[in-house]
Amino acid sequence: MARKRSPARLVIALSVAAVLGVFLLYTSIAGGGTPSLQPSQLAGHSGSVILGGHVVGHPTGDARGTTGLRFTVRDPKGAATVAVVYHGSVPDQFRTDRDIAVQGTLRNGVFVAKRDTLVTKCPSKYVDKRT
Amino acid sequence: MAGLGRAALVLSLALVLYAALAGGYAAWRRRRRLALSAQNALLAAFGTTLLASGLLAAALLRHDFAFTYVADHTARALPTMYTLSAFWGGQEGSLLLWLLILTGMSAAAVWLNRRNAPDLVAWTTPVLGGVAAFFAFLLVVVSSPFATQPAVADGSGLNPSLQNPYMVAHPPMLYLGYVGLTVPFAFAMGALLSRRTDERWIIATRRWTLVAWTCLGIGQLLGAHWAYVEVGWGGYFAWDPVENAALMPWLAATAFLHSVMIQEKRGMLKVWNMLLVILAFCLSIFGTFLTRSGVVSSIHSFTQSSIGPWFAGFISAVTIGSLALVFSRLPLLRAKTRLESLMSREATFLYNNLLLVALCLTILWGVVWPLITEAIRGEPTTVAKPYYDFFLRVFGLPLLLLMGIGPLIAWRRASWRAVSQAFLLPAGIALAAGVGLVAAGAGTSIPGLIAYTFSAFVLASIVYEFVRGTRARRALSGGSWPGAFTSLVGRNRRRYGGYVVHAAIVLLAIGIAGSNAYQTVREQRLAVGQSMQAGAYTLVYRGSERKNTPQGFEVRGNVDVYRGGHFLQRLRPGKNHYVREQQDSTEMAIRSDKLTGEDLDLVPDYDRRGNFYLKALVKPLVNLVWLAGVVFFAGALIALWPDAREQRRLAERYAPGRALVEA
Repeated sequence: MARKRSPARLVIALSVAAVLGVFLLYTSIAGGGTPSLQPSQLAGHSGSVILGGHVVGHPTGDARGTTGLRFTVRDPKGAATVAVVYHGSVPDQFRTDRDIAVQGTLRNGVFVAKRDTLVTKCPSKYVDKRT
Repeated sequence: MAGLGRAALVLSLALVLYAALAGGYAAWRRRRRLALSAQNALLAAFGTTLLASGLLAAALLRHDFAFTYVADHTARALPTMYTLSAFWGGQEGSLLLWLLILTGMSAAAVWLNRRNAPDLVAWTTPVLGGVAAFFAFLLVVVSSPFATQPAVADGSGLNPSLQNPYMVAHPPMLYLGYVGLTVPFAFAMGALLSRRTDERWIIATRRWTLVAWTCLGIGQLLGAHWAYVEVGWGGYFAWDPVENAALMPWLAATAFLHSVMIQEKRGMLKVWNMLLVILAFCLSIFGTFLTRSGVVSSIHSFTQSSIGPWFAGFISAVTIGSLALVFSRLPLLRAKTRLESLMSREATFLYNNLLLVALCLTILWGVVWPLITEAIRGEPTTVAKPYYDFFLRVFGLPLLLLMGIGPLIAWRRASWRAVSQAFLLPAGIALAAGVGLVAAGAGTSIPGLIAYTFSAFVLASIVYEFVRGTRARRALSGGSWPGAFTSLVGRNRRRYGGYVVHAAIVLLAIGIAGSNAYQTVREQRLAVGQSMQAGAYTLVYRGSERKNTPQGFEVRGNVDVYRGGHFLQRLRPGKNHYVREQQDSTEMAIRSDKLTGEDLDLVPDYDRRGNFYLKALVKPLVNLVWLAGVVFFAGALIALWPDAREQRRLAERYAPGRALVEA
């Protein structure tokens, strides 16, 4: 007698196919995300990217003012840097030596950040090193 | 002290290694006395780990800055509560807490089951010992909390934003969840190794899974609440990889908790349950790997260290080993029965499982997406909130609906007639709620409207189930309505505890939908006397005040809140400046409306010239998110509460003449 096929398998197969289909549809529409780059990887990217790195030097200007907050971001494990200009709210944790992420575009060698996108990595643990 | 701590950890390592190796040999060669000895070693390892933990806690409380860990993570001025919480604040202490919970849970699980399921426990012991050996090895060789240095006058202190009671409770709750998932995993592997693949391992570990799952859920909500009140951005979840790391095993464990019921009742989904418990355990280890390795960018900047590769190796070994074991035991995992109808209780559980796993894997895909794109294109690409929000709607909304459908459908095969009868009232209520919401103007967000309509359906079906059950019990045994209700819940704690948890998830869904889909955000620079509008609120800035504090100074902006022309209260958002840490901390002001669950959040900012900026967020129903935590805990407690009747039933079913301890 032929073995009766379980409808569960059909349900699983159809569900997996549906999931994959929805995912492919989504990624093809949305483009699969925003590049997350370090300063050394910025060259050649004209579109919107997420810049991540280490804040070096002393930030100047005012994020609420017309000039904006100006600071320099360095590769976490390298020497490449990029100047950043930013407007909007500044996280409490932002300061020199902190790791940040900010969205924006590179224009004439300066990373012009999108308003209110600055995120300082939250020191969820006791990361401060004594010197 | 440090030497004693190191010795205790070395002893723990030796004991768990013995439990793993001698336990494995004893189970293989069926040496009963050696197996008992291995189990005792596991119990003893809890004692030595407890000793090591006590020593570290004592060093923290004594401010013994000769301990590098104490000096790096505390300061003399730190309040005792936060000094003690530094135990799990750093990597080394976290690993020690992990080992402490693991050995404690392992000892309890082995102790409670070894007389009643000796063959299963014999094989479970080496698995538990093996997992514990990995963590003990890290503590002894790679990352010791007992490293010493020349004593310094004072320690580094604690980041101000972490000095919050929620942050004291959040990490250990998550650890309880992560570590707790080891027990069902170890029993599952024990069942495979011992070839006892009946439901015994599921019954023995059901409460462990529930405890782990509850702790993981509560831990996440505590973290979310901390983010909401402390971080000052008006949100509570950001789909960050580290947050996702806790959500993924919770989703896998949720699927597991549902699918084991199918195995218990119908003897189906045996392979699936094995895969789910492996997935949940591996994801709990993966979470720690994510937070510690720094392989993906996260806003949670944990101390990155060299333990990442160790975790990667461990996850790989566990995944490959456990999957190979499942594969080798496939003939023993054949289902006893088959799915009879796609319209049955078990079928809805199956759909629920597929959606939960799909959501879990989609989140995992998003988390590892930067790694994949970096490997392929040479640079990482990050998927952000829109990606996760999209899939939360695609999988989350049907999940919500299924929570209402499941309880109304019969096991095995449901007839259209019975289903339509059961659905009539909840569906009618949902429809009426949807129409009412559209009339009330909630149609501005389609996903929000769908979520609310589905929520009404689920709540109606839960209430309907309670009413139907109480009526049936009253008809059966008479008595009052409250008496019948209490008897109903008491006799079916798991089922009705589950329904209460479902109600909590509905509250969560309503809270999330309300606070995201219908929130209002306004931001403006305000001069003294100037006002702004946010939703129904009028906010008038009355100037700022500065005051010195022991840690530095604080600035508060006085904002008068009006609604409909009536003064409600004065809120004082501001900034605290901590001199020692050289850091500002935004102190958001929140006005909660207890009646509607709506919050008005005021996030202040000052520019360099002292101008006051105010960001106002009106978040409807956000308090239901926190209420959901309370209801969730209550439901889990009902489901967890021991039931002597159930114990007897299980004992008769699985081991005539012997009681099976369900721990």
